Amino acid sequence: MAKLMKYEFRKTLMVKMVILGLTALLEIVYLIGLWCKQEDMLGIGVALLPLTAFGSIMVTGLASVVILHRDMNTKQGYMLFMTPNSCYRILGAKVLENGLSILLTGACFFALGALDITLLVAKQGQLQELLDAIRSFITSIDTRLALDFPMLASFTVNMLLNWFSVVTACYLGVAISAALLNGKKLNGLISFLIIVLLSSLVSWLQRLATGTIVDFKTTFLVDAAVAFACAVVMYFATAQIMEHKLSV
Amino acid sequence: MLESKQITKVYGHKTAVDQVSMKLMPGHIYAMLGPNGSGKTTWMKMAAGLVKPTSGEMLFKGEPVGIASRERIAYMSTEPYFYAWMSIRDAGLYYADFFRDFSYDRFAELLKRMELTDDLKTRTLSSGMMAKMKIAITLARDAEVYMLDEPFNGIDLMARDEIRESIIEHASPDKVLLLSSHLVEEMEAIADQAVYMREGHLVEIDDLEELRQSQGVSMADRYREIYRHMEV
Repeated sequence: MAKLMKYEFRKTLMVKMVILGLTALLEIVYLIGLWCKQEDMLGIGVALLPLTAFGSIMVTGLASVVILHRDMNTKQGYMLFMTPNSCYRILGAKVLENGLSILLTGACFFALGALDITLLVAKQGQLQELLDAIRSFITSIDTRLALDFPMLASFTVNMLLNWFSVVTACYLGVAISAALLNGKKLNGLISFLIIVLLSSLVSWLQRLATGTIVDFKTTFLVDAAVAFACAVVMYFATAQIMEHKLSV
Repeated sequence: MLESKQITKVYGHKTAVDQVSMKLMPGHIYAMLGPNGSGKTTWMKMAAGLVKPTSGEMLFKGEPVGIASRERIAYMSTEPYFYAWMSIRDAGLYYADFFRDFSYDRFAELLKRMELTDDLKTRTLSSGMMAKMKIAITLARDAEVYMLDEPFNGIDLMARDEIRESIIEHASPDKVLLLSSHLVEEMEAIADQAVYMREGHLVEIDDLEELRQSQGVSMADRYREIYRHMEV
């Protein structure tokens, strides 16, 4: 499994390098703005770095889907499917590598964000005011939200597992397209509709499970548990289709 | 050792392989012959586990092909299939990571014989260099079955001799070698068995020595006879 993951990482290396390069560029802009008191540059950094963080996590997930599509639909798939590995293992390596990449990307951006805020406070002071402003922003969204560790942890777990369910829904759509609908008319459209349908189904199940829960933290966790359960089902369905129906 | 039973593969409305039953025995070099679209590549891909049959079964040592058989069957596709980012060395390390029977030393030796260096990027290789590299990486495995799809495609005459020698060196009483090619005369110098295919069907399997002795005809003669008779 570790060897498969190593090569999955290598396949997405270019995407990761682009993300790293873009982030480094924006960070430089931010630091120049902060040190040289260039408000325009500081503003660009403050506005675009969080956007890049969010976009990077999205792109990291989607890159894995694109690579699975390529593995199933081009000759390079021979490299993967002629190795003595089951489709469960192959797909598992993709899921794990992608999950770890997303976690790592998230952690890196979180650390970078913390560093940037620290630098900003060190340079301009007023830490308490900044925290108060963030708290005030969060409670303006909903008064039950709070800026504390359990809330942040449950929110992070929720986001991660929801994204995991989206990625596995895409995997299933791609597998159905390559294995069951290959060569058929409207293949791409049908696969896209399957992905939308699966994602809607997950959302419906989540609403059903969290409907009567008032507490935000519990809502986040139940919602995440449903997403995780759906992702596991979709993972097994995808691997099963690949194992028995996929011809590369 | 490698056997297909009534195996069929249908793509849409086209039947690529139609109810083919055959058994390949160790100690032989088989030449799989037939015009384009006769089902040679699809049959090999089913044996490699890359293509799932529509019906029938493919067996390796009596068991359906799958994860275990991929450990023992070395397949070389006619199309290039390496990842674009790979150098020849990366490809060798990839094989070393996944195939226990792969020897990097043997790979390096074969590369040297093919006049290739492992620092070359696979995406920059000419078709001839790619063909040689694919053969080197496949033969660097110590498999029980080698299936080489069109091994002489795009290779010049001098390099062909080197490849022919390398292939023959791999023949042994406990191994099966299966080669497909359009170059019938080239195959005659290597194979001892000929598998003729046409439009997805198996026409016949000939023991070439027996054919020469009993009927006084070569593989190329028999090829012409079969496909002329069938109005190809």
